[in-house]
Amino acid sequence: MTQRRLVTPSSVLTVVGALAVFVLVWRAIVLIGGYPPFILPAPEVVFGRFLVALSDGTIWPHLSTTLQEVVLGFALGASAALVVGYVLARSALAERLLSPYLVAAQAMPILALAPLLAMWFGPGLLSKVVICSLIVFFPVAIATMVGIRSVDARLLELGRSLRATRRQILTTLEIPAALPSILGGMRVGVTLAVVGAVVGEWAGAERGLGVLINLARGSLFDIPLMFVALLTLALLGIVLYVAVVVVERRLVGVR
Amino acid sequence: MSSPGPTPVSRHPLEVFVSSSHSRFLVVGFLFVFLVAACGGQTATHSPSGSAAPSSAGSATADSSVAPSIEPSIAPTALSVGLGYIPNVQFAPFYLAQQAGYYEDAGLAVTFQNKIDPDLIALVGAGNIDVGIADGTSVIPAVSNGIPIQYIATLYGKFPNVVFAKESTGIRSAADLKGRKIGTPGRYGSGWIMLQALLGSAGLTTDDVEIVEYPDYTQRIAVSEGAVAAATGFANNEPVQLELSGDKATVLRIDAITPLPGPGLIAGTAALDTKHDAIAAFVAATLRAMEEIKANPQAGLDAAIAAVPELAADRDTQAAVLAATIDSWTGPVQAASGLGAIDTKGWTASVDYLTTLGLVPSPVTAGDLVRTDLLPGGG
Repeated sequence: MTQRRLVTPSSVLTVVGALAVFVLVWRAIVLIGGYPPFILPAPEVVFGRFLVALSDGTIWPHLSTTLQEVVLGFALGASAALVVGYVLARSALAERLLSPYLVAAQAMPILALAPLLAMWFGPGLLSKVVICSLIVFFPVAIATMVGIRSVDARLLELGRSLRATRRQILTTLEIPAALPSILGGMRVGVTLAVVGAVVGEWAGAERGLGVLINLARGSLFDIPLMFVALLTLALLGIVLYVAVVVVERRLVGVR
Repeated sequence: MSSPGPTPVSRHPLEVFVSSSHSRFLVVGFLFVFLVAACGGQTATHSPSGSAAPSSAGSATADSSVAPSIEPSIAPTALSVGLGYIPNVQFAPFYLAQQAGYYEDAGLAVTFQNKIDPDLIALVGAGNIDVGIADGTSVIPAVSNGIPIQYIATLYGKFPNVVFAKESTGIRSAADLKGRKIGTPGRYGSGWIMLQALLGSAGLTTDDVEIVEYPDYTQRIAVSEGAVAAATGFANNEPVQLELSGDKATVLRIDAITPLPGPGLIAGTAALDTKHDAIAAFVAATLRAMEEIKANPQAGLDAAIAAVPELAADRDTQAAVLAATIDSWTGPVQAASGLGAIDTKGWTASVDYLTTLGLVPSPVTAGDLVRTDLLPGGG
């Protein structure tokens, strides 16, 4: 398999070019529409506000709180999902028993559940981690199940005929074969974890980028600051997503 | 070992963006469409230059002066009015004025929308809604941040945000809150400002109490169950319901400590230019309904139930909430000058106080914030 580098001059140019176009289109819309900052702040206004928020220490406490919630929630949710996904893949009974509940849980809006979870687990870090892990769980569990099931049955048969142990089959056949699918689920999950953290913060928190959004919008009426929080969230999502892609490329190469 | 078959997981758009040079134009196109779509809702109704569409009544006047042979149109002026998030007995004056035809008699075609406070302020500022209800404490930071709105009539002469507790807790003053658990929907908005002012009056800060957040506004239940000793709420809501459930309530108000402007009517500065007379007529009709309800609360209750039939399920509670609401309409300034009157000096004091909380990034004066010429008799 040929290994392609994640970062090449061409890909950097593409990213920078697309970003430039995005900013230009954004600026053009503000200019043509004549929108005031409280409706759609211009990119330079948001950038200026970002620098101020960075220098006066507004952003860091909120960003670090959200990052902590996302990382812990993702770790917990993805770990549980790997185990459950494997069980679902290998046990028809487990799938029949659990699948309806998993799908039902996924269909429930986490926004409605968040206040309840905050009540059950308290207004601190734990409730946010639980909300993040719940939102991460489903895509990773399903991806794991699909990945494990995609293992070639003939290879499994071959492994058994060579008297491979259960552990050997898992580590040498099933996990390597399922990894692309699992990591694909994790790519989706890690971006959803960011959403989960914000939902959790909206259900009651002292700090976090979700809190900053509410403060900027509902108390300070500082819409450029709200955009700063939104863009910081977007950047956080991109960084975490790319981190998973990097791990994926190291483990399974380019897909 | 052969590699596994094709992965069933589809590629993420960002992965396409990172690795496929052929797709870059697709991505750029997507970004453009996304931005245009995001702003599309605004472009349909927003008047960025501040030139909101002239009212139909205004047009009729202008047309009749140009073409007197044409029979003058009596088409009413359309006025969109944003009320609070949930249709409620507290909006009885608006329902009564609508149902009794006061708005129609004033040449207005009024439509109501229900929105939360921050959304209403932005929509009124953008000209998408003509008149809205907003907390006075929200108007100050909003105007300071460049949102072009002004406060044109007081609805609540007494600041309605209070701290309430069961009488059995022994809480009688702000000083008694020290070290106690206090429930609040969140660390923002008028309730949070009031709490800081109230604690400050006893030399306390929010660090001297334990804040418990109830974003789903269940702090009354928390007080009732004893999960918190006290909570922030509205004088015409939570304490009333607490008393109805059989608990004596203590209510700590801020009015005598720090004058904060209560909820009132706001309008966009552009709408105030183009629909001045229509908005003044709206204010007058609404205040007329308030006076009527003050004299006869049953008329307000009936109007609210006609507008929101679900309220009939618990008439006693609604009647109690309305009675408390009516009481909140009249502060000292309204007692002296009539319902709707604006306490300009109180606004100046509020600006000073909110400045100490860091909520006023650009200096504003009471003149920037309020306008009294739309009140009957010019305020």
